[in-house]
Amino acid sequence: MLKPFHEVRDPIHVFVRFDGIERDVINSRPFQRLRHIHQLALSYLVYPGATHRRFEHSLGVMELASRVFDVVTATGALSEDVLDLLPPDAVNDDSRRYWRRVVRMAALCHDMGHLPFSHAAEKELLPAGFTHEHLTRAIITSQEMEQIWGAMTPPLRSVDVVKVALGPREAPDLHFSNWETILAEIIVGSAFGVDRMDYLLRDSHHTGVSYGRFDHYRLIDTLRILVQPTVGGGEADGDENAEAEPVPSLGVEEGGVQSAEALLLARYFMFSQVYLHPVRRVYDIHLKDFLAQWLPGGRFSTDVEELLRMTDNEVTAAFRLAALDADAPGHDAARRILQRDHFRVLYEWNPDDVRVNPEAGCAIAEAASEKFGADWVRHDPVPPKDTSLDFPVRMRDDRVVSALALSRNIAHIPPAAVDYVFVAPTIRRRANDWLTKKRQEIITPKSETENG
Amino acid sequence: MDRLQKITVLTRLVERLKAHESWCGETHIQKATLFLQELFEVPTDFEFILYKHGPFSFDLRDELVAMRADMVLEMFPTDPYGSSWRITENATRIQSFHKQTLAKYGEAIEFVARKTGGKNVGELERLATALWVTRREKKFSTDEERAERIHQLKPHVSVEAALGALAQLQEIERDARCLSATGSSSVG
Repeated sequence: MLKPFHEVRDPIHVFVRFDGIERDVINSRPFQRLRHIHQLALSYLVYPGATHRRFEHSLGVMELASRVFDVVTATGALSEDVLDLLPPDAVNDDSRRYWRRVVRMAALCHDMGHLPFSHAAEKELLPAGFTHEHLTRAIITSQEMEQIWGAMTPPLRSVDVVKVALGPREAPDLHFSNWETILAEIIVGSAFGVDRMDYLLRDSHHTGVSYGRFDHYRLIDTLRILVQPTVGGGEADGDENAEAEPVPSLGVEEGGVQSAEALLLARYFMFSQVYLHPVRRVYDIHLKDFLAQWLPGGRFSTDVEELLRMTDNEVTAAFRLAALDADAPGHDAARRILQRDHFRVLYEWNPDDVRVNPEAGCAIAEAASEKFGADWVRHDPVPPKDTSLDFPVRMRDDRVVSALALSRNIAHIPPAAVDYVFVAPTIRRRANDWLTKKRQEIITPKSETENG
Repeated sequence: MDRLQKITVLTRLVERLKAHESWCGETHIQKATLFLQELFEVPTDFEFILYKHGPFSFDLRDELVAMRADMVLEMFPTDPYGSSWRITENATRIQSFHKQTLAKYGEAIEFVARKTGGKNVGELERLATALWVTRREKKFSTDEERAERIHQLKPHVSVEAALGALAQLQEIERDARCLSATGSSSVG
């Protein structure tokens, strides 16, 4: 007898279950490639356990996405004012089945366009304005995937999978209904997206740090689709047309606020301690330097077939060889990765310098390059990622209020950002002495009249 | 425009919005920045898309968060609607290094703050959507067509209210052209 469901063991969610047609997506060539893309690039050189891949993360995102979908669309979870803003048939049985499948498949496929080593080299080694999300979209709408979507019951529209997998920010040319916007929020939302929930839990588990843990069971149980209170008093002039558009978004019941705070804090700590760790960051830079010299034309191809042929394995084999051959393209960068001869921190973001000049890192990187030569200096500014700290909260008396107005903690969670200047180990001491003497002079902004 | 110049323009905008009694939540800053870019071609270069409450820029949201990290803007909770933004002493200091930028765009910033500062989110949403449809969707050539389009995009805005927003927008555009003719700001 054919099994109606299949399951795989997972260290975070215990079991991830899927049916036969969903298994076809998992078995597809683009999805299987994710077995060979590290979730955290070269972070395993700092946290040896961090060898997990995009493959299991994507399965985890699918598992969490269905849990959230089931909770927020359950009978009784949707209030009348929210139902008024959704398509009339959004949550009837047939429609619910269709959209649940879309959400699961969008979750599964949301990372399919990742380059080797995930985000490490994306910005500099793709054409300007081109991101892994463009490639994800091309894969979801490829002939290979269209055949699988078409074989589902009912057949899925690939454009629906694209919208829910990428959201309005990454697919600005597509029109999103309120419903589609909410479903995309379930996956990539900046407050409660399950992509974020899974990577925090999973990365925390594999790196061996506990900062990323939070009570996701409680949080998911309290998630609701709510209408965000209008900021700024739309009712001020008593004109009903002055009211702002009621916008539904993902929020929580009052009892979930502490779990939401824990998620936002977990994110802050994971960024501060793991994702923005200086040695991890500098290995990304050496990898980028290697790829810029090793790849034909110094860039990744944007052709989907070529992308699907390349994984971390091919790149790792290449930099291991290049490290041994002084004449190979990218030799110096490859050698630094293999021999742990990475650049060292000369400067990092700190409040004292940033009070003087928010671009202090930039000023120091420019001055250091001029003084010591650009080959021995690397600048790595990492601005904070899209973080919405605000979300609606339904109080026990049914009022919906802003989380920022309710929580004493959320507004005080700082944005996680860094700004590093790295230098070669051979000039580190000289560069430190130089910076100690010149720091104030370098970072004090020049007046525009001085610049002419 | 480099980042310090961008910080100068945005913090002065926040400062002037507050002086004109704006609530100064994110939506207010978003719409005022759109008007600065569209009416006066101030090169802050944020990409806008149609999103919640009309035109919205994720790039600008990122920049506001970055400016909070860099301690030139502060977000403070305000009951019951959420948060408002205000500038810090560091912002004033950065502005003092950028007198030419302020001389070049100061009047445009003041104009936009005056025209938008007293408006609530509903009014800003209608006005900004009217601006979007007028400037970005050229296939709608009459006010009636544009009003229908605004109603289509924002069904809670009646066609009459959309026509009102278009008339208000045209008045603002006229005043902006007058300012440009007499001052240092150019009109887009």
